Amino acid sequence: MTVLLKREVARRVFAKELMSSTYTLRDESEKSPLYVLTPLGLKCSRVFIIGVLTDMEERGEDGNIYRIRVADHTGAFIGYIGKYQPEAYEAIEEIDLLTPVAITAKVRVFEGETRKFVTLRPEMISVADPESKDYWVIETAVQTLKRIEEMKKGESDTARLAMEIYNTDLEEYRRAVREAVEKVMESYEFYFEERMLEEEEEEFEIEEDEELSFEEEEIDLTELLKD
Amino acid sequence: MDRVIKLADQLFEDYKDYGVDRKEIVEKLRKLLVEFGVTENEAVRTIRNYIIREYGAPATIRRERITKIEEIKEPNKWVTVKVKVIQLWESSSPSVSQVGLIGDETGYIRFLVWTKAKKKPVEEGKCYIFRNVVVDDYGGILRLNVTKISEIEEIDEDIKVKSPEDIREEVEVVGALVAIQQNSGLIQRCSIEGCNRVIKMGKCPEHGKTKPKDDLRIKGVLDDGYRTYEVIINEEGVENLTGINLEKAKKIAEETLDRNAVLVELKKMLLGKYLRVVGTATPRYLIAKHAEFFRPDIRKELEKIKAILEEIQ
Repeated sequence: MTVLLKREVARRVFAKELMSSTYTLRDESEKSPLYVLTPLGLKCSRVFIIGVLTDMEERGEDGNIYRIRVADHTGAFIGYIGKYQPEAYEAIEEIDLLTPVAITAKVRVFEGETRKFVTLRPEMISVADPESKDYWVIETAVQTLKRIEEMKKGESDTARLAMEIYNTDLEEYRRAVREAVEKVMESYEFYFEERMLEEEEEEFEIEEDEELSFEEEEIDLTELLKD
Repeated sequence: MDRVIKLADQLFEDYKDYGVDRKEIVEKLRKLLVEFGVTENEAVRTIRNYIIREYGAPATIRRERITKIEEIKEPNKWVTVKVKVIQLWESSSPSVSQVGLIGDETGYIRFLVWTKAKKKPVEEGKCYIFRNVVVDDYGGILRLNVTKISEIEEIDEDIKVKSPEDIREEVEVVGALVAIQQNSGLIQRCSIEGCNRVIKMGKCPEHGKTKPKDDLRIKGVLDDGYRTYEVIINEEGVENLTGINLEKAKKIAEETLDRNAVLVELKKMLLGKYLRVVGTATPRYLIAKHAEFFRPDIRKELEKIKAILEEIQ
């Protein structure tokens, strides 16, 4: 009986967290994939990301490898797509720069001279709509905050190991999550204001929302003052 | 004689904490059952009364409360279950010594044994009582945790488990379609009545070369960042998502002289997209009854995340 074949889950991780990872580990089992341990204690070997394709250059002797950069609200992922990933290879050739893209990728670790670097090996890449991109940010924010909480508790082995290795500044990550979410909020408030001009009769709602955005500005100011 | 031993063991098990002598129980039972020929019920009753009187045991002994798996519905409860080990999987962490699926006649549940619990490994197909195990919620899936204070006892009893086909659960999943498998798109099925298997390399795995009939489907992986679902979307679902039905799919194949062109087209439209799927979850597949592109209410989602952010500040 084959019940629930094991497939590695595609984790939701911001670039900042994934690209800061330098530690790898395997399970005890023989077939274990190589996992990257992130500073927030996530063990991952596959990710699903949505970001903007900001760079793409041909590498390799015959230019048969694409090196891509995909930016999210916290940083950028680096990926390599070769001909041995035919699906992603064919797809990337039809995607323009500065397009939001969705990528499922295996996580690879490249050993540099001084430290290890995380790179992605995309299995699939496609054009993403802006709504999905925003949803990804929120989804990833929720999952990242959960990890931060786990780190605070320090109950799980991976959380403890991550703290030992990276001495993670949890506040720094919480701020990064907050900033990423705020970027999404901004774009929606902008959109909402535009629509408000068209629908002037809904006065009550207008008032409510003005108050909301005012409150947020206040929070921003105090944060600035603290720094 | 077997009958005597068996009953004596049961009684001894119930009252062993009160200092009863097993040999004494066996002898008294034999006398009652073999020599005097009283009924089993009467013999057991007599001995129970004797033990209560002589050893000061309580009149009603604490019987173990076995929870049925279908009754397990929320995390953080401590339960005792009587189960068969259906399947063991590879543990994904050194801190977990065993992980797998256990079941009883009412359902299945995942379980894991923490390495620190230092338990003797359980085996597939064998039956056990898992005492004092705690339920936790792992990304929406309930699991039984065997910890240091839990007990696992092998039992000589064959528990009938529900067959996988009977384990069906209505679920709604929102996730990214992270992969579409090769045997998707315009596929061929065996036309022999009652077979319907997918034809691979021109052959039905059961009937060899048969007359094929066309079908349209997607077999893919839906992933919400916590777990994966192997999802199957039938023709109706595919049409709802992409506007391509069987007829159109055949047309695409004819025009391009390539059946695979349908799959290429579907991949272009669906890979990397968030889908909302309502369907039936079996232990292996999520069979979609309804599939659509997920249209998130970003405002609502933002409200939620804002609340979380404020809470942990």
